[in-house]
Amino acid sequence: MNIQAYIESGILEEYVLGTVSPQEKQEVECLTKIYPELKEELLTLEAALEKYAQEHQTPPPADLKDKIFAQMNFEPVEEPADEVAPTESRVGVLSPEQKAIVRPLWSMMAVAASVLLAIGLAWAIYEMSDLKFQNKRLATQISNLEETVAYSGTLARLYRDPTYKVVRMAGVAKSPESSVVALWNQQTNEVLLDVQKLPVAPSGRQYQLWSIVNGQPVDMGVLEPAFDGKILRMKTTQPGSAAFAITLEKTGGSPTPSLDEMYVMGSV
Amino acid sequence: MATQKVKYSEEDLVASLKRNERAAFDYLYDHYSGALFNVVCKVLKDSERSEDVMQDVFLKIWKSIASYNSEKGRLFTWMLNIARNSAIDAVRAEGRAPIMDDIQEHSAWADQSAVYQPSLSTLDLKALVEKLRPERKILVDLVYFQGYTQEEVAEKLSIPLGTVKSRIRTALQDLKIFFAV
Repeated sequence: MNIQAYIESGILEEYVLGTVSPQEKQEVECLTKIYPELKEELLTLEAALEKYAQEHQTPPPADLKDKIFAQMNFEPVEEPADEVAPTESRVGVLSPEQKAIVRPLWSMMAVAASVLLAIGLAWAIYEMSDLKFQNKRLATQISNLEETVAYSGTLARLYRDPTYKVVRMAGVAKSPESSVVALWNQQTNEVLLDVQKLPVAPSGRQYQLWSIVNGQPVDMGVLEPAFDGKILRMKTTQPGSAAFAITLEKTGGSPTPSLDEMYVMGSV
Repeated sequence: MATQKVKYSEEDLVASLKRNERAAFDYLYDHYSGALFNVVCKVLKDSERSEDVMQDVFLKIWKSIASYNSEKGRLFTWMLNIARNSAIDAVRAEGRAPIMDDIQEHSAWADQSAVYQPSLSTLDLKALVEKLRPERKILVDLVYFQGYTQEEVAEKLSIPLGTVKSRIRTALQDLKIFFAV
C-alpha cells in the first residue's frame, strides 16, 4: 500500500476533525495500527490541532471547577479488567491441567480401593467360612472334650469315692491286652463298668458280665455294644460277690457263662 | 491555565486518570477546560447553557476514561469529541439547529479568545496561527470546533466541497508545520 498517497488523500485530517464516516473511521484506526508512518502522521496532526485548540481557549467561570469536582469521587478504582484477565486466564489454564492430573489419580485410587475392597471381602468371606468350619470343629471337639471331661470326672469321682470298690478285671489267655474295671458300690451293691480295653464284639455276639457268688456265676447283664469311653450301669450284685468276669455270649446274653469265651476276670 | 506545577506526559496522565487520581483530573481540568469550554461555547452560543454542558462534558470524561483507548488517538481529540458532541446534542435537544458562525462573527470569537488568553508561552505560536489564511482558519474552526461536516460547510458558505476539503487540508498541514517543534 502506498502510505504517502494515503496520507495525501486527506483522510487523516478528516479523521482528526471527526468528519469521517464510521467505515472510514474503522479503516483509519486499523491502518494506523499496521503502519507506524500513518500513526505518526495522525498523532502529529492531532497534536497540531490540539495546540491550535489551546490557542483558542474560553476559560469557564471560576466556580465551575468546584461544582464539577463536588460531583466526583476519587476512590481508588478496581483493578482494570485487562490487568485481572491474565491472572484469571492463568488460573483457567492451570486448572484443567490440575484436573488432568487429579482425575486419573482419583480413578486409580478408586479402582485400587475397589480391588482392595473386593480382596478384603473375599478374604473376609473365606475367613468367615473357614472360621465357621473351625467353629463347628471346635464345638465338636469341645463337646467331645466335655464328654471326656464328664467321663473322666465321673471316673475320678467314682475312683475316689470310698463307697465304690474298685475291682480290676485283667485279660486272660484269650485276650491278655483286655482290661475292664468294675466299680461296686458297697452300700447299694450297684455295679458300674469302666471298659478300658476290650475287642469290638463280632456281630451276633455281646459281652456279658458275671458275678461269682459262693462259687456260682450270677448274671449281671449284657454290655451295650458302644461301650468305649462310657460308664456302663450293670445289674445290682449280691453282697457276697468274690469276683467279676466278662464272657462273650450270643446277643441278649446267656443263662450260664461260656467259660472258654472268657475275656477278663478279677477277684474282689 | 497552561502553566502547571505538575507536568504529565500524555501516557502518565492517561494512566493516572484511569487510576481515578484527583491530581490528574485537577491537571486535566486546569489544562484543557479552556479549550473544551471554547468548543462548547462556540456550538451553543449561550454562556449559561454552556456551563451546564461543560459540567456534563467533564463528568462524562471522568466516568468514561476507562473506555479511552490511546491506540485510537490522543486524549485531547477524544475529549474534544465528547465536548463537541455533547454541545451539539444540547442544541438539538432545545429543538434548534446549530447556528453557523459567519466569518465576521467567528473572527470576533477568535479575537475574544485572544484577549482571554494572553499566554506568554504561546505568544509566538499564536502569531504563527494567525498567519493561517482566514478563509482556511474559519473552515478548520467550523469543522473542528463546531462539528460541521465539510459538506455542510460547503453548502452554507457556498464553496465547492473539493475546495473546502483542500483548504482544510492545507490549513492542517500549515498547523502541523507551525507546531512541529
